[in-house]
Amino acid sequence: MTSTVPQAVPAPKPTVTGGAPLLEVDDLSVEFRTDYGVVKAVNGISYTLAAGETLAILGESGCGKSVSAQTIMGILDSPPGFVTHGEIRFRGEDLLKMSAKQQRDIRGEEISIVFQDALSSLNPVFTVGAQIGEMFRRHRGASRKDAKASAIELMDKVRIPSAKERVNDYPHQFSGGMRQRVMIAMAIALDPAVLIADEPTTALDVTVQAQIMDLLAELQRETGMGLILITHDLGVVGEIADRIAVMYAGRIVETGATDAVFTAPAMPYTEGLMASIARVDQKGQRLNPIVGAPPNLAMLPPGCEFAPRCPRATDLCVAERPPLREIVPGRRSACHYAEEVLGA
Amino acid sequence: MSERTPEKGPVGGTPAGSTDSGLLLDGQSGGEPGGPTGTGDVVAHAMASGHGDDGSVDARQASLWSDAWRQLRRNKLFLIAAFLLLVLSVMAMFPGLFSSINPSDRGACQLSSSKLGPRSDAWFGNDIQGCDHYANVIYGARVSMIIGLVVVGGSTIIGIVLGALAGFFGGWFDTLMARITDIVFGLPLLLGAILILGVFPERGLPQVCLALIVLGWPTTLRLFRASVIAVKDTDYVAAARAMGATNGRIIVRHILPNAIAPVLVYATIAVGGIIAAEATLSFLGIGLQLPAVSWGLQIGSGQRLIRTAPHIIFFPSAFLSVTVLSFILLGDALRDALDPKTR
Amino acid sequence: MARYIARRLLLAIPVLIGASFLIFAMVFALPGDPIRALGGDRPISPAVQEQLRDQYNLDDPLLVQYGKYAGGLLQGDLGTDFSGRPVADILEQTVPVTVKLALVALAFEAVFGLIAGVLAGIRQKSFFDNLVLVSTTLVVSIPVFVLGFVAQYVLGLKLGIFPVAGVASGFQGYLLPGFVLAALSLAYVARLTRTSLAENLRNDYVRTAKAKGLTPLSVVGKHTLRNSLIPVVTFLGADLGALLSGAVVTEGIFNIPGLGRAVFGAIQTQEGTVVVGIVTLFVFVFILFNLLVDVLYAALDPRIRYE
Repeated sequence: MTSTVPQAVPAPKPTVTGGAPLLEVDDLSVEFRTDYGVVKAVNGISYTLAAGETLAILGESGCGKSVSAQTIMGILDSPPGFVTHGEIRFRGEDLLKMSAKQQRDIRGEEISIVFQDALSSLNPVFTVGAQIGEMFRRHRGASRKDAKASAIELMDKVRIPSAKERVNDYPHQFSGGMRQRVMIAMAIALDPAVLIADEPTTALDVTVQAQIMDLLAELQRETGMGLILITHDLGVVGEIADRIAVMYAGRIVETGATDAVFTAPAMPYTEGLMASIARVDQKGQRLNPIVGAPPNLAMLPPGCEFAPRCPRATDLCVAERPPLREIVPGRRSACHYAEEVLGA
Repeated sequence: MSERTPEKGPVGGTPAGSTDSGLLLDGQSGGEPGGPTGTGDVVAHAMASGHGDDGSVDARQASLWSDAWRQLRRNKLFLIAAFLLLVLSVMAMFPGLFSSINPSDRGACQLSSSKLGPRSDAWFGNDIQGCDHYANVIYGARVSMIIGLVVVGGSTIIGIVLGALAGFFGGWFDTLMARITDIVFGLPLLLGAILILGVFPERGLPQVCLALIVLGWPTTLRLFRASVIAVKDTDYVAAARAMGATNGRIIVRHILPNAIAPVLVYATIAVGGIIAAEATLSFLGIGLQLPAVSWGLQIGSGQRLIRTAPHIIFFPSAFLSVTVLSFILLGDALRDALDPKTR
Repeated sequence: MARYIARRLLLAIPVLIGASFLIFAMVFALPGDPIRALGGDRPISPAVQEQLRDQYNLDDPLLVQYGKYAGGLLQGDLGTDFSGRPVADILEQTVPVTVKLALVALAFEAVFGLIAGVLAGIRQKSFFDNLVLVSTTLVVSIPVFVLGFVAQYVLGLKLGIFPVAGVASGFQGYLLPGFVLAALSLAYVARLTRTSLAENLRNDYVRTAKAKGLTPLSVVGKHTLRNSLIPVVTFLGADLGALLSGAVVTEGIFNIPGLGRAVFGAIQTQEGTVVVGIVTLFVFVFILFNLLVDVLYAALDPRIRYE
């Protein structure tokens, strides 16, 4: 697996040669205009993804990580959701500027997504075979018969036992883990260049979780697709992610190579996340949860969003929002005291 | 074995059967997929908190109803409907305030002015007998309001009592009720009413009310029974039971207040449907009989004159429709206010 | 599935018997003497009266009368009216008329109700959505007989687009009464479709369909509409009772010689056998339609399995 260093500035228009990022999210902002006010769900996030790379986007629920994924897929509900700023470049072209038809052609074919809850994400009134096969029918113009044959092949690939018999079953007849495999089969059907996995294992049993993650990692090795893994589960991240972007209150607050971030966080929020998970070597010690709750996205404070919960917060943090800046090569942090945190 | 019992029964459905299920199912819920601040969660949370003892049940109820009231006061349609119904109620109680002529008085009608159209000294014109049609229509409100309220009140009480028993205890009584409601639902409301009313040689207010109550209570029963069953299995009822509350106390104190909202919404809308049903029956000549003053009768009397004197049909029709509409709007507003999901 | 249908049909038997007995009891409890009423102003000789009474079992106790009637019913004998005309004949003449009327009404409901509901549902809070909400509320508030007059007056008399009454002119004559009969249910179908579609559009699998790159048309048409139709289908089945009920009024206003007018006339002239025959038929059709709806339900939603 290759590990790419994130660019400090948005990359220039890529040439056809390798090394150019597959997907670039550039200063993306999304807000929801509701009857109760404007909710700023995503506030100027940027990241890149190269082929074969796994980027984990980490954060609590409501931090904007799923909204950003839906925006990339172009399936944000609008209204109430609106992209207010930024670009999403796929192979150098801005998805947001494409026609609806061009976007649809990319959706599922080049960029694909696996949702969290497979039971509700699969249509209850169609067989799984029909739902997987629909990808071939829509994008490849396959016949009903060919689509079904391809569906069986894919179900084999994601290791659903006796695929031939089960292709005509409905989603409710599968177990949770098998349903998620169906979702994955559907998402990888057309060999997409980018796969977004939005909390793919959250709804599953722990043992099944590991199997699904292994499957995703294996499929990625085989196909060389770029994988964006959205999760709040640090354990999952450590195993398969090359890089991490930590999100808090609609903003990326820290990025870096997985190992580096894990061993030495450069942002108190990341530090808190690390401290709040159970580890074998900490047996018998108390867990340290982060106190307080994330800010209301409809009324963001002027300073650092994390300041109210931050053990290191100073007057500066409350008054001035720290920008995301490079602290050491390949590491960026949005903390006024990033160097101190890193050294701690 | 899964037999579905459709809980929202068709009310047989009068042609005027605004009492039917559609409106109840129809949440005009907006489409805000609540952002992190969606108030839906807040309300749900407020409603979910405080299970257990009687005190917090009261608190939960109080907040549901006071929230509903706050919401209603801001709903323009509710205000319009409430105002119209207020006017119609006053009209029903004191028609003399609106018209100096009482259509039942001798000499109120001059045959010479039969079928004359609307004009400045007779706003709605005259009917066949030459009576002032404005006075006719004003005095017609009383019958409609009485029948609407009596029938819905009666069938609601019967439906709630039997529905609570059927839902709470189940067993043979529940089965019996299910079969009886099946039979009544199999019979179109209007046809059933015609059959029942045919039994009586003289038909007045009491007979019409009776017929409509007989056909109306099963809907309330099914609605309330479903609510009771849903509430019966909640944690706070289990808690009350664990603390030794009697069945009667559980029903009255815990289940009734929580199950009453859908019934109340249905009942409000049903008043409109019943008023329309009475008018339809009277129009067909099988409901109230002359000399009763009823919009249905007035419309029926103008039936043959639609070419020459359409005003005889028009004015009572308009009043009838506005009355039904008001109750429907009121019920709609009530439903929106009482359903936390639509906030 | 076959067992389920058989069980449902068996369950329908007591309902049918109960309903027909109830109707029978009410009809024959009608005050007045039907035989004397038959004669009208001319007196009927006691001998003839006696013979007629005997022929219609009018002197037997109610239960015996019903037993004899039900016995005949099982052999396909629906009895005769007082002038000796078999009820089966009356049905043969009137049923096709009412079926045509009901089909026209159902077509109006299904086509216009669904279209309006779908358009309003996919564009919630748009102008069209509000228009549908307002107009359906208004339609629901106007009793069918009032609506009938309005339609007759405006479309028939003032504009002269449709025949005012009767079906002598053929199919055209069914359009206006069919529309009036459908109006109320049409409003419900539109609202129900709207709500159901709007709710289903918020489901996760719609997001999946979009993520697959499907066109908006197939997201709505293929992935949402089928699920949204389930409550609408239920409604249409249950609504048949309302349609039959409405036929009594609509056929009266538009002077259409169908079942509704026949049953209304029979009630007024106390033709017991005719009333019981027709109303029992209504109940039977109603039960059958509800069964049909439940079967259709299973076809639309694979999660439902009947045994």
